[in-house]
Amino acid sequence: MTATLETTVLSTVDTAVELAGVRKVFGHGNSAVVALDGVDLRVKPGEFVCLLGASGCGKSTLLNIVAGLDAATSGSLQLNTSRPAVMFQEPALMPWLTAARNVELALRFAGVGRLARKRRALELLDLVRLGDVADKRPHELSGGMRQRVALARALASTTVSPDGAPALLLMDEPFAALDAITRDVLQSELLRVWETTNTAIIFVTHDVREAVRLGQRVVLLSSRPGRVVREWDVTDSSNEVLDEINIHLREVISGHAS
Amino acid sequence: MATPPDTLDKVGAGLDALDVPVEAHRPPVWRRFLKTGVPPLIAFALLLGVWQALWASALLPEFQLPAPVTVWDELVRSISTGDAFGILWTSLHRAVLGFLAAVVIATPLGLLIAKVRVVRAAIGSLLTGLQSLPSVAWVPAAILWFGVTPSTIYFVVLMGSVPSIANGLVAGIDQIPPLLPRVGRALGAGRLASARYILLPAALPGYLAGLKQGWAFSWRSLMAAEIIATSPQLGIGLGQYLHNGSSLNDINMVIAAIFLILLVGIGIELLLFRPLERAVLRARGLTGAL
Repeated sequence: MTATLETTVLSTVDTAVELAGVRKVFGHGNSAVVALDGVDLRVKPGEFVCLLGASGCGKSTLLNIVAGLDAATSGSLQLNTSRPAVMFQEPALMPWLTAARNVELALRFAGVGRLARKRRALELLDLVRLGDVADKRPHELSGGMRQRVALARALASTTVSPDGAPALLLMDEPFAALDAITRDVLQSELLRVWETTNTAIIFVTHDVREAVRLGQRVVLLSSRPGRVVREWDVTDSSNEVLDEINIHLREVISGHAS
Repeated sequence: MATPPDTLDKVGAGLDALDVPVEAHRPPVWRRFLKTGVPPLIAFALLLGVWQALWASALLPEFQLPAPVTVWDELVRSISTGDAFGILWTSLHRAVLGFLAAVVIATPLGLLIAKVRVVRAAIGSLLTGLQSLPSVAWVPAAILWFGVTPSTIYFVVLMGSVPSIANGLVAGIDQIPPLLPRVGRALGAGRLASARYILLPAALPGYLAGLKQGWAFSWRSLMAAEIIATSPQLGIGLGQYLHNGSSLNDINMVIAAIFLILLVGIGIELLLFRPLERAVLRARGLTGAL
């Protein structure tokens, strides 16, 4: 099967990301697994969208397709942003580089000059309140601090854009490996950074509470194959919405019990 | 319910304060020397003591087990006449040249094997096999091919060290966590930039281990070649010196030669590889073994 994925830059500015009928099949013939089946998703510039789903719903696959790390089997992806930045569950910092150098590496790949790199890296580390530990190496930092350096690095790679295209940050369960208090702090940190940088964020999680707390919109995906089940506007989140999303998520999961 | 943001900020600042690593105090120089320098000196002194006692018991005749002091005299004699420096220079410059040539050959070879599947399938296991083949086994063939010339010696040195260095680099690249090159791709690194800024630095510890082993193999291969392939045109290296001692039935010379061979091995390890390795591992927080 040939990939019919086309990536074009939209001229309209009211859409940052548009996915239409995205389908992803792994393997061939009888052993083929449909990971995503006709996913439509639109994200506005500066919007915070949470993708929610159980294991095997293709959340990460969807994120990889938007990031350009993976190609869809069919369907279309339109990006009206600068290069999307990705944050993974592990910080994945280069262990031989200091925090500042890790952020600078992203800027180097984006073709930023040396002096500008240094200045921008410090700005971004200050943004995640790690200006004081810029010269520390990853092994000298705690898990939460490392993930904040990774956030600064991700921001570095997406907020550098000559034509001023809106930034896009893709996050794949970035706080799942952290302890509860650190996760709590980092969630509020992320919200603060999001408000200051006006970056569109697609945030993948399996935690309903996290999705409702962070996102403006929660998109529930079904599992095997992944399809969009429902969407909620959670700007003014209430406990009722939380319960409602929980009930739907449980329905999606228990559908696989038979 | 949700905690107000300013309280969370305080919690975050508190977490950071708790998480900031405590600077470990480096002990003063004399204390570090006491910890790392004294034990080997004591071990060496003990060894000398046992040797002296064995000699004094006169279990073995003098031409088999000399007194430590007569070996010392031979060392002092060869150093004061300048012989020792000429001998060391002959061997050391061969080993260093051979080792550098091995690095130049083995590095692209290792990269090819690590990154090109066909090359790995074709010669990967051959290279590992060569590592277990004693390089002294190449001496007879090399003498037939090149005669008793420096080419023979360099050939044996290369056959000894190239497999170790190439294998070290392959192991280093194989052990890179797959997430790192993936992050590079997500950050927009091309193939070359990824190799330069991610793959090579990430493989450095394994590469360094390969270099260290490669040096050891080129030094011992050189000794084997020098002991077997002796001729006036090759000059006197440590191997020939050892060989001469054996021909002259001079046990003092033999032990002095072994001592010098060991001295070079330990010296290069302590002055070159140990500090390099320490710097590389410390930068990555891998200080357990140091």
